Amino acid sequence: MKSLRGWDLGLVGAGIALVTISAIAMASAASTVSGGLALRHGLWIAIGLALFVGVASTNFHRWIDTSGLAYGVSLILLAIVLAAGTVRFGATRWLSLFGLSVQPSEFAKLATTLLLARYLAGQTSPLPARVALTALALVIPSALLVFVQPDLGSSSIVLAIWLGMAWVAGMSRKTLAGCAAALMVLAPVAWQLLKGYQRDRLLAFVNPHADPLGAGYTIIQSTIAIGSGRLWGRGWFAGTQNQLSFLPEHHSDFIFSVIGEEWGFLGCVAVVGAFAWLLFRMLHIALSASSPQGRLLAAGVFSWIAYQAFVNMGMVIGLLPVVGVPLPLISYGGSSMIMLWIALGLVQSVSRTDAMR
Amino acid sequence: MSDRLVQLRLLVPALCGVLLLRAAHLQLVRGAAYLRLAEQNRLRLVPEQAPRGLIVDRRGATLATNRTAFRVAIVPQETADVGAILARLGMLLRRRPDLLERTFLKERSLAFVPAVIVPDVPKETALLIEEDRAGLPGVLVKPEAARHYPHGSSAAHLLGHLSQPMAEELPLLKRYGVRPKELVGRAGLEQLLDAALRGRSGGLMVEVNHRGRQVRLLGRRSPDAGARVTLTIDAPLQSLVEQLLGAQPGACVVLDPRTGAVLAMASLPSFDPGVFVGPEPQAAAQLLDDPRSPLMNRAAVGVYQPGSIVKLITAVAALEHRLITLQTTVTCTGSITIGDRTFHCWNRDGHGPMTLTDAIMQSCNVYFMSIGLRLGADRLREALEHAGVAQKSGWPLEEQAGHLPRRRLTQGEVALLAIGQGEILMTALRAALVAAAFANGGWVVQPWVVQAVAGRPVAASRARRRLPWSNESLAAVRGGMREVVRNPLGTGHRAFNPSVALAGKTGTAQTHVPDRTHGWFIGFCPVDEPRVAMAIVTEYGGSGGDLPAEVARAVCEYVSVSDA
Repeated sequence: MKSLRGWDLGLVGAGIALVTISAIAMASAASTVSGGLALRHGLWIAIGLALFVGVASTNFHRWIDTSGLAYGVSLILLAIVLAAGTVRFGATRWLSLFGLSVQPSEFAKLATTLLLARYLAGQTSPLPARVALTALALVIPSALLVFVQPDLGSSSIVLAIWLGMAWVAGMSRKTLAGCAAALMVLAPVAWQLLKGYQRDRLLAFVNPHADPLGAGYTIIQSTIAIGSGRLWGRGWFAGTQNQLSFLPEHHSDFIFSVIGEEWGFLGCVAVVGAFAWLLFRMLHIALSASSPQGRLLAAGVFSWIAYQAFVNMGMVIGLLPVVGVPLPLISYGGSSMIMLWIALGLVQSVSRTDAMR
Repeated sequence: MSDRLVQLRLLVPALCGVLLLRAAHLQLVRGAAYLRLAEQNRLRLVPEQAPRGLIVDRRGATLATNRTAFRVAIVPQETADVGAILARLGMLLRRRPDLLERTFLKERSLAFVPAVIVPDVPKETALLIEEDRAGLPGVLVKPEAARHYPHGSSAAHLLGHLSQPMAEELPLLKRYGVRPKELVGRAGLEQLLDAALRGRSGGLMVEVNHRGRQVRLLGRRSPDAGARVTLTIDAPLQSLVEQLLGAQPGACVVLDPRTGAVLAMASLPSFDPGVFVGPEPQAAAQLLDDPRSPLMNRAAVGVYQPGSIVKLITAVAALEHRLITLQTTVTCTGSITIGDRTFHCWNRDGHGPMTLTDAIMQSCNVYFMSIGLRLGADRLREALEHAGVAQKSGWPLEEQAGHLPRRRLTQGEVALLAIGQGEILMTALRAALVAAAFANGGWVVQPWVVQAVAGRPVAASRARRRLPWSNESLAAVRGGMREVVRNPLGTGHRAFNPSVALAGKTGTAQTHVPDRTHGWFIGFCPVDEPRVAMAIVTEYGGSGGDLPAEVARAVCEYVSVSDA
């Protein structure tokens, strides 16, 4: 069951489990936003699955070969967003293409992963500090362009991808410690660069009750929603925090609290369990990959999804500050859904390519 | 590379464990509390005030009712530019926008709770605002029940008034279902019967969304209207005596000597109890500061020197102690000397030889001072105590006891006490009860005013006390009282009307202000079968034979044609 002509059924199964949960939760969450939203979400899932199958059938090495071009295109798209993007939520993240709003930052995550897989694969292990920092320098333009959108969350994902891949490539603990120290020194500078609302959110995380109707509102309402679900949940379409819109962004960034409210602790266990399953499968593929490119690619996608999922769920249940990142494969958003399925397709391709050898 | 991947594999259960531990804490450990918070989020109790009970007179005429007041409120979350809205409202309401803004800032609470900026606007203004809906987003005009007193200031001291509870009273009132900003009875019957009049407020349980908008109605308890209270008051009679007293400060109590039921209790100057719930709070403050004390119920709280009306009690005591008979005469020379002091009769030429009837009729001071001296301090004081001069009557509302001297009195002071001067004070209510006792053959009744609550008769203790005086003595004094009005020489002849049989006694009490006297009249009618007893006092109002006697006549004329 595990492998059918190189297809890792565990990876597919975990992914499908997550989008199934997503579809169920979205039906309820989207009902208060707009009528067609749940259907559009279903369409994105279908397109994502089709792309997954298509990408998985190709050889991932060819994708890695085009990574330089892809990364260049991603930078140009991010620059265009800054110049001409549509302003939404006070942040410029979208680009209108053929009547569709696309989020180039999602594409940038994929391009970054491919670029780092290509660059780090040729390096010796343990990874010299110089190489690790060069790799960081490669992804900094992307991270910066996302940061000034401003999108603190996505920008940090790009850095998390670098961290995970550099670690797997053999970055030394000393280099890691040095980076951590540098981050602490730079933190006050970064604080100055943050927008007022971003600072409010971070402060609200420290004490949500300081401003219960402002920045702390979302955290308080989200904790109430999840807590009120108790063990069994309040039932599908029966979560009052969700259905009565006490919870802002309940179809996108805060979808996990809708699951927690309507499906209770068991729903949370299902989501976390499905993610664990998906992540274990990706690590398994990375471990059994014969080429360093394949191994690094799988590790990069692993870091991306692991970090983004943990940050999102952590913020929704009040463990981490509110930074706007969607829950992978579950939150509403076409760009994110498609890019994640392409990334999973590439991981699947790593698995298949290995099986063929 | 592989060892690093194996390390990452440890990260997955660690991160998942943290998430699930937190979720378990929120959902399993503290879930019940969060569920309660979620319910609080979505449920709103919208109180529905019960209409306050009506207060009606003995014939069902309305004394206190409810009218529709239009409240102007602003919903903060639906108003983008409060300044512009207030400027526009200011024009419609003819009020200064900055004052409106101050009220708005004081009253606003949550974004979806309307903040009342003007509690009561006329219907025309309410319509103007409704017509300008489009130009005034977020402005609401809410009709609400407000207390209304159709007779204005009539019987205001009896009815009392409403006001907002003070902060320190709220914890106590909360147990009776009173919410902040809800009006409570503050004085008079509105306060005494507050619980019955208030009824039980109902409410709606509403599910709201995050903007406080109603999503659905979950339940409703309809309010129970307050009980209708029927008084023993005769509203036309009440208005009549108030009109007759007019601008003269004073009081008038009219009651049924057989039962103690109060038919009229007037106190002037009066006030409109509606101002306490009306649109202008400063009007209420002015009443409190008014040097004429319009809020004081002079009928039950005002104590005055009684003057000559006390002579009736002196007369009974002298008859009871067999010091005099109806035939005994005392010659009035116009003055009497006691010790080294000479006291003048009001008639300095002297009344000549006087029987008891003559003395009551002409209110001869010399006669009553001399029999007062023969009675002595103890027997005189005993009689005054029997009459209850210094006692509270059991009146259910605020009441002041009168006063009698407790110390040893000189002979001169005893003589003065016998004619109601010096250290003696009485309320009009007590004076009316004394009149009633002469009318009903010696019973001191207890005054009451609430006849029925919600249609059920109030079982008031109709306690009455028998005076230790014989019917013969009482009849002898009644004969004198009859002459006071009927005889052209009587001090109360102005109260005479051949078609009504009124008996009474005037009083003109000297006060501590030289040449200013309180005027009194107490009496009852019809003489043979008295249906009303009354006391009228005019504060610094001159002679009791003038305005008080005229009021008494009007009361009798009214009673003779009414069915009381």
